Amino acid sequence: MSVKINLASSLHHLTNDQAVVEVNGNTIGQCLEQLIARFPRTRKRLLEKNGALNRIINIYINGESVSPEGLATAVKDGDEFHIEVIISGG
Amino acid sequence: MLSQDERERYDRQILIKGFGEEGQAKLKKAKVFIAGAGGLGSVTATYLAAAGVGVIRLVDHDNVELSNLNRQVLHWDEDMGKKKADSAAEKLKRLNPGLKVEAVKEKISQANISQLVAGFDLIVDAMDNLPTRYLMNKVAIEMKIPFFHGAVHGFEGRAMTIIPGETACLGCVYRGAIAEGKFPVLGVTPGVIGCIQVTEVIKYIVGIGQLLTNRLLVYDGLNMKFSEFKVKRDPNCEYCGHSRGKESR
Ligand SMILES: [Zn+2]
Repeated sequence: MSVKINLASSLHHLTNDQAVVEVNGNTIGQCLEQLIARFPRTRKRLLEKNGALNRIINIYINGESVSPEGLATAVKDGDEFHIEVIISGG
Repeated sequence: MLSQDERERYDRQILIKGFGEEGQAKLKKAKVFIAGAGGLGSVTATYLAAAGVGVIRLVDHDNVELSNLNRQVLHWDEDMGKKKADSAAEKLKRLNPGLKVEAVKEKISQANISQLVAGFDLIVDAMDNLPTRYLMNKVAIEMKIPFFHGAVHGFEGRAMTIIPGETACLGCVYRGAIAEGKFPVLGVTPGVIGCIQVTEVIKYIVGIGQLLTNRLLVYDGLNMKFSEFKVKRDPNCEYCGHSRGKESR
């Protein structure tokens, strides 16, 4: 399944300034693994040491939130992801 | 009822369809709690004061520092060293003498939060850290007080409106915390996000328009993009999951 991953601006420095990365995978988790394989520096921001989704990361598929337990969720061809990082300033 | 003076002061917003003197009278009765008198607090307090809300309780325990002045526009050069709550309250009273403003120079904590927000109609999130935001989210849900979230970092911002018992809360969206302390931010970013929060607050009080509920607004000033993500209520949310269970019974 070919999907498009849109990365938050604050992650672009980890992907050679690429804002959108196309990957192939059957689940959200597989797509993330592909992204990480291509840009290994993203691993530390995206995943915890145990492989779970980093608590500061939010993933949205086609504009809708995905629960942190949802890495096994199947994806369809043409799905679009957004990876956002939480912020806390005021 | 509005005085002749108030009719004139708020004339341009009273003219808005759906607003009217009735809407203005609702604003006059509203008691607004603003958590933080920094970047977001300066902007939200200023516009809410100008719009004519009745009472603002502004809570901040910090003093004004030189490095605040690029964004915390209620504090001026001459205010350095003063308590932010006092510096802000003084300007707000000069902006709108009809406003009742209470400056509270306390640090928001588990111990005082319920007491601080008791009797207030809504809470504006103008905090600079996630742990206090989670605490306010928790109390807002327990006490059924609408909570208007905003956050900023660099050129980026977020906003979402939370109606307890009805819509997704902060805990349905965020789980983690990030290191506190010094964060980069351009002055106009809290300007943008604070104005969005105030737009939401005014709509909520007056009872018009569509609120930013179950939607997280993401502002990217560097690329000048506003994105919106649908957020679902999480049945297992540690803050609002329980109240959902009660409703379905
Ligand atoms: Zn929740």
